Amino acid sequence: MKFVLVDRISELQPRRRIVAHKALSLAEEYLGDHFPRFPVLPGVLMLEAMVQASAWLVRASLDFAASLVLLKEARNVTYKSFVVPGQVLTIESDCKELTDEQSVFAACGSSDGRTIVKAQFTLRHLNLADGNPALAELDEQIRAHLRALFGLLSAGCPTASAAGRP
Amino acid sequence: MRWIWIDRFEEFESGRRAVAVKNVTLAEDYLHDHFPGYPVMPASLLIEGMAQTAGILVGEANNFSEKVILAKVKRAVFYSLVTPGQQVRHEATLEQMSGAAAMTSGRIFCGAELVGEVDMVFSHIDQNISGLEFPEENFVFTDEFMSLLKTYREQGGARVSL
Amino acid sequence: MPTPSKEEIFGKVRETLVEALSVEEDEVTEDATLTGDLGAESIDFLDIVFRLEKTFGIKIPQEELIPRDILSNPDYVQNKKMNEAGLKALRESMPHADLTAFEADPDIDKVSDVFTVGTIVRFVESKLNAA
Repeated sequence: MKFVLVDRISELQPRRRIVAHKALSLAEEYLGDHFPRFPVLPGVLMLEAMVQASAWLVRASLDFAASLVLLKEARNVTYKSFVVPGQVLTIESDCKELTDEQSVFAACGSSDGRTIVKAQFTLRHLNLADGNPALAELDEQIRAHLRALFGLLSAGCPTASAAGRP
Repeated sequence: MRWIWIDRFEEFESGRRAVAVKNVTLAEDYLHDHFPGYPVMPASLLIEGMAQTAGILVGEANNFSEKVILAKVKRAVFYSLVTPGQQVRHEATLEQMSGAAAMTSGRIFCGAELVGEVDMVFSHIDQNISGLEFPEENFVFTDEFMSLLKTYREQGGARVSL
Repeated sequence: MPTPSKEEIFGKVRETLVEALSVEEDEVTEDATLTGDLGAESIDFLDIVFRLEKTFGIKIPQEELIPRDILSNPDYVQNKKMNEAGLKALRESMPHADLTAFEADPDIDKVSDVFTVGTIVRFVESKLNAA
């Protein structure tokens, strides 16, 4: 599968909040196993979608300074209901803290007006060059790839596009 | 992509503890997006590996009579990155169980190194999530999971010779 | 082991709720409702019960904290309202709860407001005293 769990960004307030969406389709092959005759978005992919949405906010707010934005800690990820194929998971993530090295978010996911999931988590922001200066070029490659992807995801959202421009 | 995040059980003490391993390989698609040029196992998929290990432990404790699903991740914390060529070991312990739910704690290792910790609550789908129609049969514990457990029990580490 | 004081019980219950619900300490007041004020979901109740069992070394059968059989009994609940017989049964099975507001408006959809932080503290107290 392509490990891109955000399809579209509809709102972005730098350093503060992001609203993004992940659509679920039967075309996603893993659904055959999760579960047979009852395909639903796996809970960990809901978490990944919230993490990726929040990571986009970090990147846009810090001008893509860190190449890697990774989950450090998640707390009280609470699952309330399911997302089935044909539905869209709308993620709203509020940034509680943001420094160059890490960020803290409170996020929730909803679909058709129903709350599906909520979580709090901390992200770490890293560059490979921090550990090994020889990897600076690899950081730049990753950054360039992610800037392009961000352009795609935020195409319909003027505030996001403005934030993402280098 | 198959939704199976453990490869083999190494230990299984019914109602108490289970240890499963997962190999991380560049043959897995998702690694090429996470991230291009520097593949690392996503934390969320490490959580799923632990959820599958612990979920089977919880399910087996009730003879797979209930559909057991992950209802809450109390805490998941990660200390280092997992890269292709490494083997992840999920050690899950059943802490508490009631008629409605079960609580597990888990440690994730790469060799001797503690990579992460994941504490979770599982619940029985019929009892706690309402408003949705779902099939009668226990779709959670698929043939793949059942055969992982069967293989562990029947082979007991013995290798098949050609 | 001597029974902890009410303040000690409140302190540990508050710590449990802060950890289980990701709320701030000052949100956990005696009158705060678990679902309304603190945002607890039904799975959170199960998580909280496990944590209280571990913290206080007590066993909490699910039906003692939340008597689901009374709440879903058609003899006690008609047209989403609990009748006098139901309220009597509820009073008997939940001596730790303050049912005043619910008795004034026994709308079954509002029963979760009965579960305040105070309800939990009194419940733990009664279990510890009985032990």
